[in-house]
Amino acid sequence: MTQSKWLVFSLVVALSIMLGPFLIIFFASFEPSSTLRFPPTGFTLSWFKKVIGMSMFQKSLLLSLRIALLASFLSLLLGVPTAYATSRYDFKGKRLIELISTSPSIVPGMVAGLALLRFFVLLRIFSIETTLLIGHTAIVLPYAIRSTLASLVNLPISVEEAAQSLGANPIKSFFLVVLPNIKVGMISAFIMTFIISFNEVPVSLFLSGPGVNTLPIVMMTYMEYYYNPSIAALSTLLIGLTLVIVLIAQKLLGISKFV
Amino acid sequence: MIFFLLPLLAMFAESVYQPTKGWVVHRYLEFFRQRLSRTVYVRSLLMGFSVTFVALLIGYPAAMAVVSVKNDSLRSLLMTLLVFPLMTNPVARTFSWHAVLGREGLINNLLLTLKFTDSPVRLLYTRGAVFIGLLQLFLPLMVISLTSALENLPKDVPLAARSLGASAFNLFTRIYLPLTSEGIVTGCTLVFTGCITAYVTPAVLGGSRVLMLSTLLYQKASITLDWTMATVIAVIMFLSTVAVNTLSRAISTIGVKK
Repeated sequence: MTQSKWLVFSLVVALSIMLGPFLIIFFASFEPSSTLRFPPTGFTLSWFKKVIGMSMFQKSLLLSLRIALLASFLSLLLGVPTAYATSRYDFKGKRLIELISTSPSIVPGMVAGLALLRFFVLLRIFSIETTLLIGHTAIVLPYAIRSTLASLVNLPISVEEAAQSLGANPIKSFFLVVLPNIKVGMISAFIMTFIISFNEVPVSLFLSGPGVNTLPIVMMTYMEYYYNPSIAALSTLLIGLTLVIVLIAQKLLGISKFV
Repeated sequence: MIFFLLPLLAMFAESVYQPTKGWVVHRYLEFFRQRLSRTVYVRSLLMGFSVTFVALLIGYPAAMAVVSVKNDSLRSLLMTLLVFPLMTNPVARTFSWHAVLGREGLINNLLLTLKFTDSPVRLLYTRGAVFIGLLQLFLPLMVISLTSALENLPKDVPLAARSLGASAFNLFTRIYLPLTSEGIVTGCTLVFTGCITAYVTPAVLGGSRVLMLSTLLYQKASITLDWTMATVIAVIMFLSTVAVNTLSRAISTIGVKK
């Protein structure tokens, strides 16, 4: 019996290292004075009001949302055909495509960020926002491919063959049979890529420019100059938002889709 | 994908040869000759090792506990709790430690109240702060890798071993460790490479006092504008992760051959 007590104890230790700080920052964001403090000395919502009203956070939040939505959309647009081709056909260069499509997850974000910066910003081909979008799409694409590939593998080819033998051409069977069947995989790919892009730091760090910064970058810059509970309030909001997304995703898809 | 690989190749080429300056391979030697960059590199590797070790030490029994939960809804709640920190905004997650480790944070207030110290202790911007931040960040990955390895372990094998009289120690070293070695290698690789490449955690909890490879890279690139050195650091970082990945693949194939 003592053995299983040890197991439970280590699980509790692990969970408190992972989640404990979230609880503490939650309480610290109600601190009335202007220092970050735990335990708090009182209760106020003014930091939440302040942080929601600040235009630098509003602007960067909108940029982050825009980039995350577009990057997820683009990665599905590129990723679903790629995943379909690699799961259904055998062709020359298939290994290469597989390697290339997984490479962004092997290359560290800092390395990718620096490389993209040198390439795009110094050459000045695109606007900052477009460069950010390209960088984010490259980062999230492997996740989109992997997620849709997993549900394509579970869909037997015979289903498509049946559709085609009943007179559907390959394009029709792709849109009417394949796509509806991998819907769950695509939704989970979308949520996954959205969250990764929304939280992405290293690539944005290099590709952001004057006035065009994603939310995490603005938070980091703000922290260097001001040390008050407003970042605590903002963190609490973001943590709460993530909790809601994770719970919804779990209800919709089951958590196994994410791991 | 062209947008991704081309810049990468261009950067590698540039770290060796530049049209205006000729061959610049000597900058690699400079990286290892300078004390600061050498210290930072060794520190990053040591940090990677220690975080990986502690994550394994806590993560293995924690994963065993998760797997042993029979109740389905409790188990999916636990999995959700494991995934949740991975999905959280990294700046928010890392900044949370400021409320724990700051001058008026939980630990300092506790120490002051218990009269262990008269004035606040500096806990932020130390190696310990970076360590705990990285541990928080990568524990979930370790536990998740080990959980899936433990789930694939046939349930009757440990039972059979125990009925044949294996002690708890033998059961662990002879059954659990070898049969989950692949999960252990995967988890350790993820955590180690994550540690030596993570940016937000060392930036927010270590600052310029505890420079790591990634924060040094950023300093070179955007503060001192030493582009060649930044590129050299990036290549060294990349090669280190490739080396660790190759090594771990070699280890797991040896394991399979056995």
